[in-house]
Amino acid sequence: MLESMSATDAPERSESGPPSPESESSVVPVVVGLVVAGLVVVALGMLVAGSRGAGPGEWAGTILGSEQRIPDAVLTDTAGRPFDLRAETAGQTTIMMFGFTNCADVCPINLASLSAALDELGDSRASGVRVILVTVDPERDTAEVMRRYLDRFDVDFVGLSGTPEQIAAVQEAANVPEAQRGESDPDGGYQVGHASQLIVYQTDGLARIAYPFGTRQADWTRDLPRLLDGEIPA
Amino acid sequence: MRWWCVAVDEPWSWTPRPYLGVWALCLTVLGGYAITALRRRGTGSGPSTRQVVWFLLGVGSVWVASDWPVGSLGAGYLAAVHMLQYMLYTLAAAPLLLLGMPEWMLEGVLRRTRLRGVVQVLSRPVVAGVLFNAVLIATHAPVTVDTLRTTQLGNFALDMIWLASGFLLWLPVVSPIREFRARSAGARIVYLFCAAALIPMIPGGFVAFSPQPLYATYELAPRLSPEGPSALGDQQFAGVLMKVGNVPIIWAVMAVIWFRWYESEQRVSLRRRMERSLVGATAPASGPSARPGNDDAARTGSDPSGRVRTGAAD
Repeated sequence: MLESMSATDAPERSESGPPSPESESSVVPVVVGLVVAGLVVVALGMLVAGSRGAGPGEWAGTILGSEQRIPDAVLTDTAGRPFDLRAETAGQTTIMMFGFTNCADVCPINLASLSAALDELGDSRASGVRVILVTVDPERDTAEVMRRYLDRFDVDFVGLSGTPEQIAAVQEAANVPEAQRGESDPDGGYQVGHASQLIVYQTDGLARIAYPFGTRQADWTRDLPRLLDGEIPA
Repeated sequence: MRWWCVAVDEPWSWTPRPYLGVWALCLTVLGGYAITALRRRGTGSGPSTRQVVWFLLGVGSVWVASDWPVGSLGAGYLAAVHMLQYMLYTLAAAPLLLLGMPEWMLEGVLRRTRLRGVVQVLSRPVVAGVLFNAVLIATHAPVTVDTLRTTQLGNFALDMIWLASGFLLWLPVVSPIREFRARSAGARIVYLFCAAALIPMIPGGFVAFSPQPLYATYELAPRLSPEGPSALGDQQFAGVLMKVGNVPIIWAVMAVIWFRWYESEQRVSLRRRMERSLVGATAPASGPSARPGNDDAARTGSDPSGRVRTGAAD
């Protein structure tokens, strides 16, 4: 193969002679032009490709192995009133998460993404979604502290608290690991390790999907309308 | 200790965290510049004081853009600071470093790296403008940012690509090698306007007007403070920076180019008028240029005997 190529190439080279400086200098712009054009195409392709995310028809969340009923518990809301989870959320799409107001990363990011997605959905559709934060730090998260914290994201978000035993029971019923309080720092502050997923209970009170930390606003705005329309994640 | 900035899943802290790689890079560049300049000290062709200042400011811009806190914030917390980093590399560091280099120094670098031919082609305004904007788009695509920002090597590559694209942008304008510059002041102004002011407004618009956060890196980053901007607000500010943040620098440079060109035109015009009046005063009455209405000799710079004078270059 190489020999045949050499054989056919040789006469051409001998006929045309060594490349002139002009032909050499004209090759460089062509090569550079092709590289530049290629880079432009790649750049535009990357721009069009956009950000990562689930494809059409897929769910951004994790499908649960089995359906889970919303916990049967009565906690206390930020107005100090009893809040019966099953009765208060009946017939609504409910998104429940566990967290605490001193959380530096997971909780504010989850709540901010959700809040922005609900804003994008519009009031008429967003009103069909109830977002509940159950505190795993009832000692510091008083009703007033929780209300002030949640109002930063959405005044309609519900904050619930209870005794440590009640909160542990709700976590168990929601099938998430129980939160663990970390060691205190010199200032007396501490962190709490907790489940970071958001569980979606549909209008029948059953959860079939949970969204891990890292679920983006674009994921919510794609999945929430489908959930509100009664589509069953599978 | 990390050698270069990287996105981390940690709440932001104002405790200083310098990056060794940044310091090593800046000191190496400064050392190389100093050694090269000192070798030329005796010949009288070393860098001028002004060039040294430009170069120091250029290295300082690289340091500010890469080290804590700008480097850290841009790598993993705020899209607006990511954009600020980009602007520091392309609109401050690159032109300042070029202005700080004497011609022989850049010639030496290009000769040693055998890149002169390639750089000469790349510095053609159309090529440089297209490539600069291709890099701008590619390095601000969400997939690029979310991939490169997660590793120190990726961040280093991103920073160096930005610096290189900055050199490309400015070569036709302030290259120490004259033949790399665009031929006329008008061409330089049009080139700068299109490449650095007009075209970046398009991707800037995409970023600014996107209804959702484009970059997972910044959307899922811990907020600096509860009262700080949302991920979308931060991104919108970044988009505005990309669209109009370059205006003060680009328009200031275009104004300088225009005023210098105007001044040189004024000087040429003045010189021609003086030459014309001198010719009129000294030419013999029978000479061809003494005839009323014959300004050709004065315009072309030929003396009464017909020989062409060589005037001073602009």
